[in-house]
Amino acid sequence: MSLINPADSLERQNEKLQQIANALMNRVEYGAEQPGAAYAQFERAALLEQRVRERTLELERTLDLLHESNAQLARANDETEAARRNLADAIETVSEGFALFDPDDVLVMCNSRFCRDFSDTARDLRPGLPFTGYVERVSQSRYLALPEDSTPEAWAEKRIRRHKDRHVMFNVQLARGRWLQVSEHRTANGGTVVLQTDVTDLIRLERQERTRLKDKQARMIRATLDHLNQGVAIFDENARLVGWNEKMATLLSISARRLHIGASFDGLIDGLDSDVAFTRGIDRAGFRRWAASDGPRQPISFEIRRGDRAVLHVFGRGMPDQGFVISCTDVTAEREAAQKLYELNEILEQRVLERTLELEDALNAAERANASKSRFVAAASHDLLQPLSAAKLFVSSLTDRCDNPDDSAVLAKTATALTSAEQIIDALLDISKLDSDGISFDVRSVALSEVLEPLRDEMEVLAARKGLSLRFVDCSLSVETDPAYLRRVVQNLLANAIRYTNEGRVVVGVRRNGGSARIEVWDTGPGIAEEDQSAIFEEFRRLDTRASDNDGLGLGLAIVERACARLGHPLGVWSEPGRGSCFMVNVPIADRAEPRRQLGPSKPKHLDFGQAGLIAMLVENDPQLRRALSILIESWGISVIEADDAQGALDLLEDLQIAPDVLLLDYQLGPGMNGIMLYHAICARMGHVPGAIVSADRSAELRKDCKAMGLKLLLKPLDRNKLGQFLKRAVQEAPQQASGGLRF
Amino acid sequence: MDGAQPSSAREDETKALCIAQVRARDPDPVASLVDQIGTGPFALVCIFASPEADFRNLSEVANQRFGAADVLACTTAGELGNDGYEDGQIIAVGFRADLFASAALVIENLDDIEQQDVIDTLIKTRMALTRRAPDMVSEFAFLMVDGLSQREEHLTATLASGLGPVPLFGGSAGDGENYRDTWLSWNGEVRQNAGVLALVRSHCPVKVFSLDHFAPTDTRMVVTKADPERRIVSEINAEPAAKEYARILGKDPEQLGPYTFAAHPVVVRLGNSHHVRAIQQVNDRGELCFFSAINEGMVLTLASHQDMGSHLEEGLSELARVTPPQQILGCDCLLRKIEVGQIQRTREISDILKRHNVVGFSTYGEQIGALHVNQTLTGVAIYPPQLGE
Repeated sequence: MSLINPADSLERQNEKLQQIANALMNRVEYGAEQPGAAYAQFERAALLEQRVRERTLELERTLDLLHESNAQLARANDETEAARRNLADAIETVSEGFALFDPDDVLVMCNSRFCRDFSDTARDLRPGLPFTGYVERVSQSRYLALPEDSTPEAWAEKRIRRHKDRHVMFNVQLARGRWLQVSEHRTANGGTVVLQTDVTDLIRLERQERTRLKDKQARMIRATLDHLNQGVAIFDENARLVGWNEKMATLLSISARRLHIGASFDGLIDGLDSDVAFTRGIDRAGFRRWAASDGPRQPISFEIRRGDRAVLHVFGRGMPDQGFVISCTDVTAEREAAQKLYELNEILEQRVLERTLELEDALNAAERANASKSRFVAAASHDLLQPLSAAKLFVSSLTDRCDNPDDSAVLAKTATALTSAEQIIDALLDISKLDSDGISFDVRSVALSEVLEPLRDEMEVLAARKGLSLRFVDCSLSVETDPAYLRRVVQNLLANAIRYTNEGRVVVGVRRNGGSARIEVWDTGPGIAEEDQSAIFEEFRRLDTRASDNDGLGLGLAIVERACARLGHPLGVWSEPGRGSCFMVNVPIADRAEPRRQLGPSKPKHLDFGQAGLIAMLVENDPQLRRALSILIESWGISVIEADDAQGALDLLEDLQIAPDVLLLDYQLGPGMNGIMLYHAICARMGHVPGAIVSADRSAELRKDCKAMGLKLLLKPLDRNKLGQFLKRAVQEAPQQASGGLRF
Repeated sequence: MDGAQPSSAREDETKALCIAQVRARDPDPVASLVDQIGTGPFALVCIFASPEADFRNLSEVANQRFGAADVLACTTAGELGNDGYEDGQIIAVGFRADLFASAALVIENLDDIEQQDVIDTLIKTRMALTRRAPDMVSEFAFLMVDGLSQREEHLTATLASGLGPVPLFGGSAGDGENYRDTWLSWNGEVRQNAGVLALVRSHCPVKVFSLDHFAPTDTRMVVTKADPERRIVSEINAEPAAKEYARILGKDPEQLGPYTFAAHPVVVRLGNSHHVRAIQQVNDRGELCFFSAINEGMVLTLASHQDMGSHLEEGLSELARVTPPQQILGCDCLLRKIEVGQIQRTREISDILKRHNVVGFSTYGEQIGALHVNQTLTGVAIYPPQLGE
């Protein structure tokens, strides 16, 4: 609603507004002065009331806060009092004397045990007492056992000095031998807690124990020194004797009178007998200088000689307290023994040298003899063949001209004799060639039939003559060999078979045997005892002495053995007395994809396994053969570890902790395991390892055992080519393992 | 006993105030009152009497019957009794001597107060009372003043200076709706143009309060001509006051009456608070007579009223928020009674007053602190005693 009635005229409105403004202005200007003081009073009172109300509210709030803080204060006071009471109760239960000083070193509280021992002076310990007051009272107590030449004042001063340290703990001796341990601990606000603990019993026990220990230790040292087989002398930092044993006096012949505590080192050295000589490294003066040196001493060790024989080893060492210990050992016996050993060694070396020279001479002579024999045989054979050929020609021409049947028969025998001689010479020539280094083979692919068919024709006559059945089993295999030598081998075997077989039959067959063809010559002859089987290959050896002299000089098998060895065709024999024999030659089957191999010249191919870093284990109980094999194999770049029996081999592997890449094991290893058993044992420890059995045993059982184990059988005498081939195959078989790494 | 309220006896001995009520026309009202509440001992007896009563006789007899107790009495514009708003009753309130200590004094000749004397007397009396009852920590001052003296502002301002922290409340004695004579008495001596004051200390916690239910609106008017001494406003907005008031309310000036004034009070704003300036009546010259001090140049703001019932309930409940008071001694403005009568809610408001144990009288104005105010319920809440603490 408007202040002014809008119905009024403008003049009226204006007039009214002026009056209103006037009234308002009067009120503003005169306000309280006006006659209407009642209203002014009301107005003042109202404004005042409002302010009072506000103020009252504030006051009330303040009061509330005040009440609250009062309540808190009261609670805090209660808690403080309770805490104080608890603390007082707590420290009273502590079995030690307890006192708390505030950061200003004024006593806050203490329990009744605190300073109880100083009852004469420290009676009035109560809150407010300064730390110095406490110390002063204690220092003047007659219950305090002051250290010698110390006054109460000095003691108190020292005690207060200690109080400045952060950690304080010390023992105080009281009258009548009692002890108090006093410790100070700083509180977080810089105050101090002093604890007093009665440690009389502890200290008493400790002292007794220490004395007991000292006695015991001294006795133990004495006993130890006397027990020693060495002379021992101990000197203090002034080089004065403090300990020794009887042995020292004995060894150095020092009179007991001069060995006494405090005896000087120099005096003792000077007093040594003149027959005591310093022999190695140091003299008397040097020893003295060592003893007199300041600072840490290096250990010293030297020998002295006393009299003619006695040698003493002296050892000196500094001790932490600058003293030193000398020990002296009688080494006379050891020195004498060493001297004797040394002399013996020299004699032995001399003998070995002499012997070596002799052997060298013998070896040279033998080589010379062998060479001249070979040359002689070759030359002689060659030179003999010429006149023989001539003689044969002469005989044949004479036969043609002779009409007399008696003469003709004589001529025929002559011709036969000449042919036999020629054959023997041929055989000798062959052996000579095979023994020499100059032979060359023409190794190529040959159909076995080419070799065997001619022999059949040739031998059938011989067999028929003795009434034997000769049978050839047909074969279509081709082999890698020198056909001439192979023919010679088979011819010799056949001739032998026919020669030694009196009835029954001779069979020639070929079996495929892995990569090779095994040519087998069976007979129903008398057989060969096992112990004789290696002897049959020797020159001029014939088992059956009843055989006709005309049947050869026993060179056949010698040639076979040599030829097979040089060709690398393994030769085997099986025989049973009374049943017959079988000779077997293994010839590699020709592979058409493979280029022709040229085996000769007969010098075996140089082998080198050096890159492979291989390790071979050789177990052979014959030292010479072992040595020879080692040298050969090592010349091919293969490391060899060797042992002479099965146990030695296993021990060696255990010690070295390496796994060999290949094993060469003698079959006959003396007592204990044989080669195959050893191979078992090694494979059991480190898995499959390629291996070969080396043996002169040509029995079928061994062959079978080896085959069952996957072992190569290398027959003695060993062929280096076969050995080389075996090693090569072994490497190829396990190329990943060729590094010979650790396997355990 | 003829006319005695049968159940008015305040039998509950634990209550701090002993209250008795009797009809004003009772031939021997004091005897009835004494019957109900005994003779104490009381520290103080306050009697609120309808103008129908023989006030002089009542005062004298009562003064004789209540022994050493100070007996203060005034006439009313209605009573707050057993049934809330009542008329034609005499109500006596006895302050038990074991719970209360009091000192009463009278201030006479309100037109010419010797301020300093009053203040001095007041301070001395107050100190003496404090010495007499130091263990009674609660205190308040209760004023009864001539409702037609038109000097209430001056009196309360003076008293406030001497009371210090003691909270004061009071009511202006009434004369029904007649506005002719109001009376007071102090220990049997009857006065006009005076005030009687009781200083009270107690074991019971007390809280002095004042409730009104008005809020200022935006409609304002300026008093351009007035007679402050007589609380008469002759012109508002440079127009005759009643006419302009009616125009602003949108009413016929001839229809203005107590109901209009009760329903549409004006307030004066001071700072962030407001105070009702209640209109008593329109005089023959079309001027407005007020129940409280006015002045030329003052700005009156039309107030709107909230619901009196809920506001009253809320206000009284707030007093009982922590602990319900045992009783409330209240001075309730006549215009409030007129207002609720006009909107026919007397019963409802009476019930609220009864429920909250309000006793007192209807006034021509209320005093709170240094202020004389209108259209409020102003009083003191008395809580259960806190003895032995």
